[in-house]
Amino acid sequence: MQTFSIRRFKAPGDVAALRAGVRAFLTAHQPPADAARRANSWAVTDLGFTRALAKAGYVGMVWPKTYGGGGRHPLERYIVLEELLAAGAPVGMHWIADRQGGPLLLRYGSEQQRERYLPAMARGELFTCIGMSEPGSGSDLASVRTRGRRSDEGWRISGQKVWTTNAHNSHFMIALVRTGEGSQRQEGLTQFLIDLSLPGVSVRPIIDLAGGHDFNEVFLDEVIVSDDMRVGEEGAGWKQVTAELSLERSGPERYLSSLALLLEFIRVSGYGPSETARALIGKLTAELWTLRQMSMSTAAKLADGEEPALEAAIVKDLGNSFEQELPRAIQAASDVDLSADTDFARAMALLLQVSPSFSLRGGTREILRGIIARGLGLR
Amino acid sequence: MSEQQALLLETTERVLAATARDAPFAEAWPAIAEVQLDLLLMPEQDGGFGGDWEDFFAVARIVGAHATSLPIGEAILGRCLSGLGGFAPTAGTVLVAPQSAGEVDATGRFSGQVKTAPWGSDSGHVVADLAGRIARMRVSHAKRVERGVNPAGEARDTLVFDGAPIEQGEAPVSVWACGALLRTAQIAGALDAALALSIAYANERQQFGKPIGKFQAVQQSLAVFAEEAAAVNCGGQAAARAAMRGEAGFEIAAAKLRANAAAGVGAAVAHQVHGAIGFTQEHALHHFTRRLAAWRSEFGGDAHWAGVLGAAVCARGADVFWADLARRSDVECQALSADGRARID
Repeated sequence: MQTFSIRRFKAPGDVAALRAGVRAFLTAHQPPADAARRANSWAVTDLGFTRALAKAGYVGMVWPKTYGGGGRHPLERYIVLEELLAAGAPVGMHWIADRQGGPLLLRYGSEQQRERYLPAMARGELFTCIGMSEPGSGSDLASVRTRGRRSDEGWRISGQKVWTTNAHNSHFMIALVRTGEGSQRQEGLTQFLIDLSLPGVSVRPIIDLAGGHDFNEVFLDEVIVSDDMRVGEEGAGWKQVTAELSLERSGPERYLSSLALLLEFIRVSGYGPSETARALIGKLTAELWTLRQMSMSTAAKLADGEEPALEAAIVKDLGNSFEQELPRAIQAASDVDLSADTDFARAMALLLQVSPSFSLRGGTREILRGIIARGLGLR
Repeated sequence: MSEQQALLLETTERVLAATARDAPFAEAWPAIAEVQLDLLLMPEQDGGFGGDWEDFFAVARIVGAHATSLPIGEAILGRCLSGLGGFAPTAGTVLVAPQSAGEVDATGRFSGQVKTAPWGSDSGHVVADLAGRIARMRVSHAKRVERGVNPAGEARDTLVFDGAPIEQGEAPVSVWACGALLRTAQIAGALDAALALSIAYANERQQFGKPIGKFQAVQQSLAVFAEEAAAVNCGGQAAARAAMRGEAGFEIAAAKLRANAAAGVGAAVAHQVHGAIGFTQEHALHHFTRRLAAWRSEFGGDAHWAGVLGAAVCARGADVFWADLARRSDVECQALSADGRARID
């Protein structure tokens, strides 16, 4: 029983040129940003950057050209993403639409929805957020209670979603709604594209402990949603969400959130680092290198049409542990004044505060490990 | 996997399954020698399998998965490095050793030691790095042989030479780096085997009315174990692939360092899951866990490889850290850094 078999990462075309293109784009367009801003960069929104990125063909890369996408290979997208994240570019505005909103419509949406929304997403003009979690439904997503009832106008949807990243900047929320009367758990769930400007929708900010605004509460009070905004079949919501979650779980962002701090640590350690610093940098480098190999291999398998659910969960959990532990490890190895006005101190201070979320978002550690256990034949 | 590799692995599995774990070297080795596994990396025109580093990793992983003490990997490397070093083929066993120290005098005679040589005293020749070159010595030329063992009871001998003939040559790879790749593969195999034992045990052993594998605490630990085993398998395979493309010092350092950490975590979880029964000599578990502990320190412990990697990264600087990482994996690109600074050997 081999726990991991590597898959050759065969991206088509001139990979070096692809990377060079992204780097040239970043040189021209990435706003100046200190290490703190570059850390956790897929949570940082910048409308102008997103539009420019889209214009350069780096949003919706793998979507068919007929919908305004780039028709590129998934591994080309992977390379572009890791270059953007390694540079700490502010990709947050379009991140969710690109990663899962658009793909959801491609896989389960109607032709009308695809034609209507994908081009604007690919232009970096239309943004979506994820309406899954509720106050009573986090890890236990199947317990969602936001309900939808059929009406003359289509559907009336009422309920509350929470932890909705970037809802305050989004045009649509893709919501998981209980439409089956009296249905329980995974049965009777349906996804809807909810226009956040509709009457009955209110979005309220949730400020995180570091003062950042990513999260929101979204209240739905008898929101009238036409049936052509239903995504996929009635009752197919759980199946669709499971597929979406696995997309959310795989990707280079799952281990690169703390890279900016590692680079700062290397920078301040200089050419003659202390033995402690040198050893820690070596250890972190080995872990990061390994994670990249695992992430690339998983991406290659996905690109080959496989569903490496166990491996994706392994890579996500391992990656999250790495990026979460990194700030603490560097803190322990450094004599740093955390109130100092240096790149290093500010990046560390920020990551120490926000890193607890790394093992909570996109699949909580304990749930992921349960999934892994099941994959190992323990459940 | 190619058909050739599949055949190779099947042969390795078959031979190891038929080998008693604690059979003396002289008794067990002939079966290995007969299938000529040690010719794995030799070119076909020289009578070898024509295998590559990926094949080597796969075979060495199986050696680890069987917790075999027989120096199969050391023999494969011994033949390969003898060839690369320009040494004449020899009929007896040739095994690599991690360390040698000493002087070669003006007449080309060696006085010094080859230390912790796996089965050194049972071998015909040993091959080791010496002052930046590859060296080969005949064991019968040793003035003194001191038998030793590692914590898993595997033979680790010291050979003392005094004015002995020695062959020296240049090879594009060091014994040290090759040995690190070997141990990484063995650790990957041993972790996978120990994990499989642990899962089977957790599903079988009942306490409080159910298999202990039903308890979340046990599941979470085993998930972490699986993550570590996966990391070593992936990193090790990636290092083997890099070695096929050219200079792979960085990758081997990273893979061995990662394997070292995983060896510690995996062995600990395995024992925790097995409880007291796994602590007995009779139970199979210790064959894996004691080797994991031992192999962690062989061909470079954590401190060594962390220092090497850290120094290399710091010498290159933060600004090219990512670009270096990306370039090394981009298939079309050169493996060496442009200005040649901070190569790892």
